Amino acid sequence: MLKTITVCLIFSLNIWAMSNYDVAKKSDAAISGYEDASSQMQMTLINANGQKRERLMKMIVLEKEGGDKSLMEFLSPADVKGTKFLNYEHIDKDDDQWLYLPALKRVKRIASKNKSGSFMGSEFSYEDLSSFNVDKYSYQGEAQVVTLDGKAMYRGERKPVSKNSGYTKQISWVGKDDFLIYKIEYYDRKNELLKTALFNAYKKISGIWRIGKITMHNHQNDKTTILVWKDETVKNGLRDRDFHKRVLKK
Amino acid sequence: MRSLCLALILLSDTLIGGMAVKGHVDITAQAYLSHPQGKHADNFTASTQIELDYTEDDFESIAKVSAQQDYYDLKGSSDHNDRSFVRLDELYAKYDFENDQIMAGKNIRFWGALEVDNIVDSFNPDDLRSDLFDVDKLGAWNMAYTHYTDTGEFALIIKVDEQDQAIAAYPYVYYFFPSFVDYDKDLKTEKSRNRPSLYLKYSGSTESEYPLDYALIYENGYDSQRYFISSGPLNGLPVTFNIYAYLVNKVMSYNTLVVGSTLFKLEALYADVIDEKKISDYYHLGLGVEHTLTQFCHQADLGIIAEYYKYDTLEDDKYTDLELFEVFQNDLFLGLRYSFNEGNDASIVGGMIFDMDYDEQTYYLEYEGRLAETFKLNLDYRYIEPSQDTLTAFHLMKRHQRFSLKLGYYF
Repeated sequence: MLKTITVCLIFSLNIWAMSNYDVAKKSDAAISGYEDASSQMQMTLINANGQKRERLMKMIVLEKEGGDKSLMEFLSPADVKGTKFLNYEHIDKDDDQWLYLPALKRVKRIASKNKSGSFMGSEFSYEDLSSFNVDKYSYQGEAQVVTLDGKAMYRGERKPVSKNSGYTKQISWVGKDDFLIYKIEYYDRKNELLKTALFNAYKKISGIWRIGKITMHNHQNDKTTILVWKDETVKNGLRDRDFHKRVLKK
Repeated sequence: MRSLCLALILLSDTLIGGMAVKGHVDITAQAYLSHPQGKHADNFTASTQIELDYTEDDFESIAKVSAQQDYYDLKGSSDHNDRSFVRLDELYAKYDFENDQIMAGKNIRFWGALEVDNIVDSFNPDDLRSDLFDVDKLGAWNMAYTHYTDTGEFALIIKVDEQDQAIAAYPYVYYFFPSFVDYDKDLKTEKSRNRPSLYLKYSGSTESEYPLDYALIYENGYDSQRYFISSGPLNGLPVTFNIYAYLVNKVMSYNTLVVGSTLFKLEALYADVIDEKKISDYYHLGLGVEHTLTQFCHQADLGIIAEYYKYDTLEDDKYTDLELFEVFQNDLFLGLRYSFNEGNDASIVGGMIFDMDYDEQTYYLEYEGRLAETFKLNLDYRYIEPSQDTLTAFHLMKRHQRFSLKLGYYF
């Protein structure tokens, strides 16, 4: 009897166990297929004393197999209004990035090798804001089933493949039912906990799950950045033409 | 009548719907700690720039106006600087087709890759009444057709006017000529100043392992370099400097190559002078390298920049770099940019420029940051050690040391 129960238990565990790689693949699939997205992003920077600063941006993204294309236009603060940031993401090489400075009418090429730099003085790095792709990480072993805020999650570890990543590893919490990411812990190059991101306010837009809010807390400097997506639409029919360098001066 | 009013209300409502306004108001205070006898030891300037942008689908029109008021002009005394103006910088419309764009009107363009001096950025002349170390361009009337390819663009631009360039009056510290010299701002040319200047520009980006942004420009028309001829004193009239423009065939290029965290930059031009015997054919070259150390100190990045400039005339017995007031003729720049990467977007830029022909040095340190989200503060210190024995532009200006504070309100 005991032998039967043990066999059944092992069998059932094998059925429910899932590798970290499979969780990542399902997580990628859960948020893919939006084709393109258009939204306003509100970024709130909160320093260690609780003082807040607001940034507003307009963003469009084109989903591409070899890496997404995105265009961000700053709407506030007023002195950077009209500044644009164009990014062509690549899985196998450094991203192509350009910055448009409207006061000078100048398009500046940006060296994008190091992705760990701060994005606009926030707690997000360029790496954090790039789109999720399974091939950007290596995975080992099986995900643990844990509970986060009363919800069953897969907790797993992934290691960035890029040598230029600012992290040695990331621990992610992925919903067991919906495969959406709810939390990530980022470990710095000294393998110490650097930041924690909480992902909230998911909403289904045209049948695709889209993130509504990310709260990023830096444990080492006690600063927090909150990123909120507003008025998001997907499958707008955007094309490569909308991400050509010509749009920087438009 | 009621129908007309209703139509006008609807039209204005439609127009305002696609209208965006932005601008800034600045106050600048400068103290010249070293300055020639007789010139001002300080200056206070108020300036503003307002831009209206109307967009409707693929159509866009822009109007931009600048104004500047110098404190000494306001006083109305003989100390006036002649630096005050209201200026239309841009007034143009453009329409985008699938792979093409047409544009007509007055606008400002930027060409270049380097940080200190963009030697190919020659489409718009500078306003010589503004701060010597600020880039303040005059808009140029032109029309352009651009065809876009997947990775670049081909443009045909026709500029239809060469403008006068007024300069500040004598007591202003950046008036280069001696006090007894008058400057005549009316531009003199052999042919009509409305003789079109033609530009063909081809630019793009490669998608190779080491990406390259490149641009190649051919110009047939008026050169951006000017020369001066003095006349008098005659019949009691003072010495007057006149400004001249001449025609060239010119080839220009600016490029940025990305290798990891390093940018390699090249700007180069060659000018073949067509209709002016006093001016030689010439070349101008600028090479630059910029390396960024990300998270150099906590979140802050450090940029290390080095640039070298070489200018030379190619014919004897003609105007040289000295007579043409060319500053970057054999110069090396070494600089650092420290970006704090914090909420106020603050940065400090410092550098040294060494003129290796005439033993001149320029040192500067500049801080820029945001205050209370709507104000921008700029602090700037500069020191120039001019040549002792050669009549360079800086020699005419004498040893110069200044501290500048600029506060801007942005909306």
